[in-house]
Amino acid sequence: MLVIQHLKVSYGITQVLRDVTFEVPTGKIVALLGGNGSGKTTMLNTLSGMVRPSGGSILFEGKECAGLSADNVVRSGIAQVPQGREVWPSMSVQDNLELGAATRRDWAGIRSDIDDVLSMFPKLAMARKRRAGSLSGGEQQMVAIARALMARPRCLLMDEPSAGLAPAIVGDMVDTILALNKRGLTILLVEQNIGVAAAVAEQAHILQGGEITFSGPAAGLVDNPEVLRSYLGR
Amino acid sequence: MELFTYLLLSGLTTGSLYALIALGIVVVNKSTGMINFAHGELFMFSGFVAWMLHVQMGMGYLPSFAIAVAVGFLLGAVTNLIAARPMRNADVVGLVLATIGLAFVFRGAARVIWGGKGDYLSFPPITSPDPVTIAGIMVIPQQIAVLAGAIVIMLVFAAFFRLTRAGKMMQATADNAKASRLVGIRIDRIYMLSFGTGAAIAAAAAVLMAPLTLLYPDMGFSFFIKGFAAAVLGGLTSLPGAVLGGFCIGVIEALAGGYISSSFMEVSAFIVIMFVLVLRPTGLLSFGKLRQV
Repeated sequence: MLVIQHLKVSYGITQVLRDVTFEVPTGKIVALLGGNGSGKTTMLNTLSGMVRPSGGSILFEGKECAGLSADNVVRSGIAQVPQGREVWPSMSVQDNLELGAATRRDWAGIRSDIDDVLSMFPKLAMARKRRAGSLSGGEQQMVAIARALMARPRCLLMDEPSAGLAPAIVGDMVDTILALNKRGLTILLVEQNIGVAAAVAEQAHILQGGEITFSGPAAGLVDNPEVLRSYLGR
Repeated sequence: MELFTYLLLSGLTTGSLYALIALGIVVVNKSTGMINFAHGELFMFSGFVAWMLHVQMGMGYLPSFAIAVAVGFLLGAVTNLIAARPMRNADVVGLVLATIGLAFVFRGAARVIWGGKGDYLSFPPITSPDPVTIAGIMVIPQQIAVLAGAIVIMLVFAAFFRLTRAGKMMQATADNAKASRLVGIRIDRIYMLSFGTGAAIAAAAAVLMAPLTLLYPDMGFSFFIKGFAAAVLGGLTSLPGAVLGGFCIGVIEALAGGYISSSFMEVSAFIVIMFVLVLRPTGLLSFGKLRQV
């Protein structure tokens, strides 16, 4: 579904991604792991059309997406749940969801999708009229996911959804990711939490210094000595 | 007491115009992080457009008002295209100079187009110029019309901002531009819409104000500085703050002129800016961090 080939991204003279190649098959969850500064967020922002690559290709459902503007990437079926929630704090949950469908014009469909999305997140349904900025971190994360779903994506890019959440809430997040995948969404999950990645993903890639240094099944990540050595430095 | 009431009403009337100018400044600053220093000239130019339509071409007041507001919107969008968009990644000095440069262009254009008609152009009153007495208070109907018109424009603008999709997109972009881009909102269009809307509000203020005063090409700066003082007083990013600031500046100016000296009217706005910057730099209704403007 999503095929990244020889992707290169530079900020000025600094090369952040060097020749990155991997694939996210249709209907699967793939994890991209890496420490701070490894290029994970740059990777997602490039896939979302926020950053222009300096080389390589991004094929989504067979069509070239590299260099598309952010709105065209959303229209093509890719949505991102950004790191740190990034909701619109002064706006209501309802308005956040409505604007998640900014690229759509089917008003009836948007209204029914809001109800559908809120049925997935009952806590948000109760807070529909509240300002998004007044919600807890976990609830804001739900708003960010619900808002991304409003674009009716077929592929969801999730940037560290467990970051900053209480351990008890991280379990709920794992359930949410699995539920989204069950609804047919293909997911590229960027994580620092190796446990979350191992719990939800089938395949994992480790990004270090802008390069993929490990690719393999996600289930064995925690026990894999190569991973522990390259990712955790043990 | 009668003098106080008269000054208060007069201050609220001019304050409502300052509030509209301040709203335009804040709309642009909130969405784009920029101060449009050509805002006063957009106000002036739209006033002249209304004068040309209403006085020279004999068009009715309301159609002239609507066309001048539309022209204001277009000029705002052009300001974004010429002075703001190419300078998006420039430093603050570059941004300031770009809009100041454009302000001189608008002023020069107004002189070229309307300069030969006399230094000061008058706009006919839209209501009877004779004062009337309501509940023992002497009132000029024109002032009431301007105040009511300004309040209607503020309400229309508030409805646009809160209820329409375009207004919500502007608010979202002001809240978090990155999140807006990620859901597919075209930020460039929102910036253009913000500049256009800000200028359209200034145009509406100019056409409302025109029957109360005289039009001249250099009038933009003094109105801009009053509107800017109001915006600073309200916190530069708060829309209700801009309205409150505008009314405060108008009333302070009228009371200063009435009780101290008429020459004090012009400087009162600057004194207010100085006090606010020293005592409460974030403004009356803004609680955020300090921003570089």
